[in-house]
Amino acid sequence: MIACDNLTKRFGHFTAVDHVSFAVAKGSIFGFLGPNGSGKSTVIRMLCGLLSPSDGHARIAGFDVAREPAAIKPLIGYMSQKFSLYDELTAHENLNFYGRLYGLRGAALRRRYDELVGLTHLAPYLNRRAALLSGGWRQRLAMACSLIHQPSVLFLDEPTAGIDPVARRELWDLLFEFSSQGMTLFVTTHYMDEAERCSQVGYIHLSKLVVCGEPDDLKQLPVVNPPDTRRIDVTCEHVTVGLQAVRQLPGVRTATVFGQSMHLLVEASLSEDFIRTELARVNIPHADIRPIAPSLEDVFVALTNNRNGET
Amino acid sequence: MSKLFRGFTAILYKEFLMVLRDPFTLFFMIFPPLVEMIAFGYALDTDVKHIATVLLDEDRTTESRQFVTQFENTQTFRIVGEARSVTELAALIRRGKAYVGLQIPPGFTRNLNAGRSAKVQVLIDGSNSSIAASALNTALNVGFRNGLLTLAQKIGLRDLPVEVRPQMLYNPEMRSPNFFLPGVIGIVLQIATTFATAMSLVRERERGTLEQLMVSPLSRWGLMLGKLVPYLAIGMVMGALLFTIMRWVFHVPIAGDVVALMVGTLFYVFCLLSLGLLISTRAQNQMQALQMTMMFILPSVFFSGFIFPRETMPEIFYAISTVLPATYYIELERALVLRGASLGDFWFHLVMLAAMGVALFSLCVLRLRRTIA
Repeated sequence: MIACDNLTKRFGHFTAVDHVSFAVAKGSIFGFLGPNGSGKSTVIRMLCGLLSPSDGHARIAGFDVAREPAAIKPLIGYMSQKFSLYDELTAHENLNFYGRLYGLRGAALRRRYDELVGLTHLAPYLNRRAALLSGGWRQRLAMACSLIHQPSVLFLDEPTAGIDPVARRELWDLLFEFSSQGMTLFVTTHYMDEAERCSQVGYIHLSKLVVCGEPDDLKQLPVVNPPDTRRIDVTCEHVTVGLQAVRQLPGVRTATVFGQSMHLLVEASLSEDFIRTELARVNIPHADIRPIAPSLEDVFVALTNNRNGET
Repeated sequence: MSKLFRGFTAILYKEFLMVLRDPFTLFFMIFPPLVEMIAFGYALDTDVKHIATVLLDEDRTTESRQFVTQFENTQTFRIVGEARSVTELAALIRRGKAYVGLQIPPGFTRNLNAGRSAKVQVLIDGSNSSIAASALNTALNVGFRNGLLTLAQKIGLRDLPVEVRPQMLYNPEMRSPNFFLPGVIGIVLQIATTFATAMSLVRERERGTLEQLMVSPLSRWGLMLGKLVPYLAIGMVMGALLFTIMRWVFHVPIAGDVVALMVGTLFYVFCLLSLGLLISTRAQNQMQALQMTMMFILPSVFFSGFIFPRETMPEIFYAISTVLPATYYIELERALVLRGASLGDFWFHLVMLAAMGVALFSLCVLRLRRTIA
């Protein structure tokens, strides 16, 4: 459905997107990850036709984004980071406006309108001005607006930034429903738990696409699982102190804090008792250690380190 | 809707709602122009009438009083008090109590009757040049006429040998509001309308809704026209309101065809709104848009012939005046309002306004890139 081939964008001497290639299948949820400023939004903006590529091509449903924008526009929906709505207009008027913008009229508009109101549960808020809606409801309204013309591809630029966890959960439930109906979703996010739920993820770092694939496949990559190593989770008190201590140990490749625990990549020969003893020396008596599979975050950390090591 | 203007009605629907929903912008579009119009109308009155004058009559005869009456009858002078000495006369002028001092020395009547030159002194405050010039001319005229009449009587003539009878066409009372107010309407319309469209598109850019519009199949022509039309409607209502004020508050009669006047106004407002849109394709934020709008207003005030006649301008300013919509509109207005000209006489002005409008509008559509970097 979406195919990028060496997509590149330069702003003066700065290359914001550097020869990025990937493909997204119809009906899949593509999670696009990367640090701020790595080029995520620039890719989305090129795909939506807001920016023209400096080099390379991108196609949506077979149409070239730079050369056939008129064919693409009716097919795509775009929900920007800011949930750009008209604050002076009510939810009802915002929806109506976007419907008309896409050429919907009369009964067709009415039908689609009712469908989306039902889907997003916006009914009690229809007569409220967009400015007075809370974050979660603004996001739902923005989403309804970007869906009013039944796009085949929906681009969402950090749709869950600044949204409470419940609203986040509900949004993802909606996304799965759309995907099951055959809609292709392209989502940028900073949340790893969201990335885990995507059917496909791409990770962009310093303008280059580092990796792209299904989350489970990525976790099997050799660079993520170097030979003769294993990943363990160490749950203990004073994690930050413990982190300093284990980083000094021979045989510990990487150590990262995850909430109340740390994830270590250690050499297979390193014994759990040894770690416990070393932690006890910095007054951390009880450490719960168990083996774990790599998470997506581990994958991205490993790949970023690997790439930094190369250059 | 044709393909070229795709999305036009959607934008129109939204813009009308937003304009009505945003009393702040509406207020600032309509209220200041009305205040400006009324303030200009009263302040730009350059008619010199009833200049405060102090009298020092040292002759105190029927003849001297008659002479003072002749002075007052010109309507140019108004006796506001009497002084007892030349020093006091001068002091009153210096203190700003009067602009003119009229001194009739003792022996005025005696000299007059004896056939000697009867001298009268007029002190004029020259610090305000237009008042001084008017006072000087009128005073000389009164003396001259008086002298001639006396001479004529002596040689037995009843009337003056040469009598000039001027007739003012189109503004018989030479009221300055008649000349200025049409110009004020032109300027005031520019201030109100240009900024409205400039702001409206820049606001969309600031909020990110412009991006949302660009992702949709909306055409650039549709977007720009949809943005323009609601403000065109408001601009026309304002124009009508301003002409109403001109006619009934300041009593400036509209000699020509009102329909023609409104057609001219429509073209002019379209020009200005397009200029506003053009500014908005350039400005990154509302502050910049406001500054650029102001930048275009000053030349219109100074070079359009609104205050200073274009014919006496240095060439460079004259050249600037030929590209200002205000120049053509104000000339058109004056011709229609004051001289009762028909559109046929001034089709060139109308064509210029239309051409500028179409050019500006096309330019801003082309400048609005489909891609917003």
